[in-house]
Amino acid sequence: MQNEIIFILLAIITIVSSSVMIYAHRPIDSALSFMVSLVSIAALFALLNASFLFIVQIIIYAGAILSLIIFIIMFLNIKDENLPDETHKNKWLMFTSIIILPFTYILIDLILRSDIQTNSKLPENFGSIKDVGLTLFSKWVLPFELVSILLLVALIGSVSLAKREEK
Amino acid sequence: MIKSYMILSIILFSIGTVGLISRRNIIVIYMSIELLLNAVNLSLIAISSDLGDSSAQVMSLIIIAIAASEAALFMSLFVVLFRNRASLDANLFDILGSSK
Repeated sequence: MQNEIIFILLAIITIVSSSVMIYAHRPIDSALSFMVSLVSIAALFALLNASFLFIVQIIIYAGAILSLIIFIIMFLNIKDENLPDETHKNKWLMFTSIIILPFTYILIDLILRSDIQTNSKLPENFGSIKDVGLTLFSKWVLPFELVSILLLVALIGSVSLAKREEK
Repeated sequence: MIKSYMILSIILFSIGTVGLISRRNIIVIYMSIELLLNAVNLSLIAISSDLGDSSAQVMSLIIIAIAASEAALFMSLFVVLFRNRASLDANLFDILGSSK
């Protein structure tokens, strides 16, 4: 019962803050509300017994990626005239929501009709760093190595992209 | 309980799609993409906790790593675009390459 109440509170916080994120005019407002929604998604992970993913979400998303976004927003020194003048923003948001809503309804209807069973019995140390690490290094070694190559490529690519060209 | 998690994930995915299509600020577009990845992660972890299998958690760990490398590339793109055009409007970025 307690889990349901916490879930409903976190779901409301997540939905409201992500709606604020796509609605806010200035990018710093949307970055801060996105941080709120990321932290509440991390709390949902903790509610699902995924303790290692909870820590990873807090450290990488709310710690690294969001601080990178906020750093870039402050580094670029964005003034109001640099932002796009979205005079028809409300109209666009409304029309897009009308287009997206049927798909959302169909998916939710499918989920409600499906017979997913709720399995309440979990293994002993489920979601701990040992469990996830053993799975990662036994079944998922090849994707892990590919991800390391991807990170290297992204590092080199971002450095060579942002390099100032010589005149 | 898993159904409510998946419904929340679908709602977050729809919010992200609406922001991705209808906004013109590239930083908001980038954060909408991140919201889509987070919605997928939420549904993966709900399924993993329901089945008692940690493979889906490893999958979402890899998705987080991909999102981190994507973040680095996007940030350097923002710097280059803002240096060339002095704007964050996605409608202005219609050429590839650096000619002005």
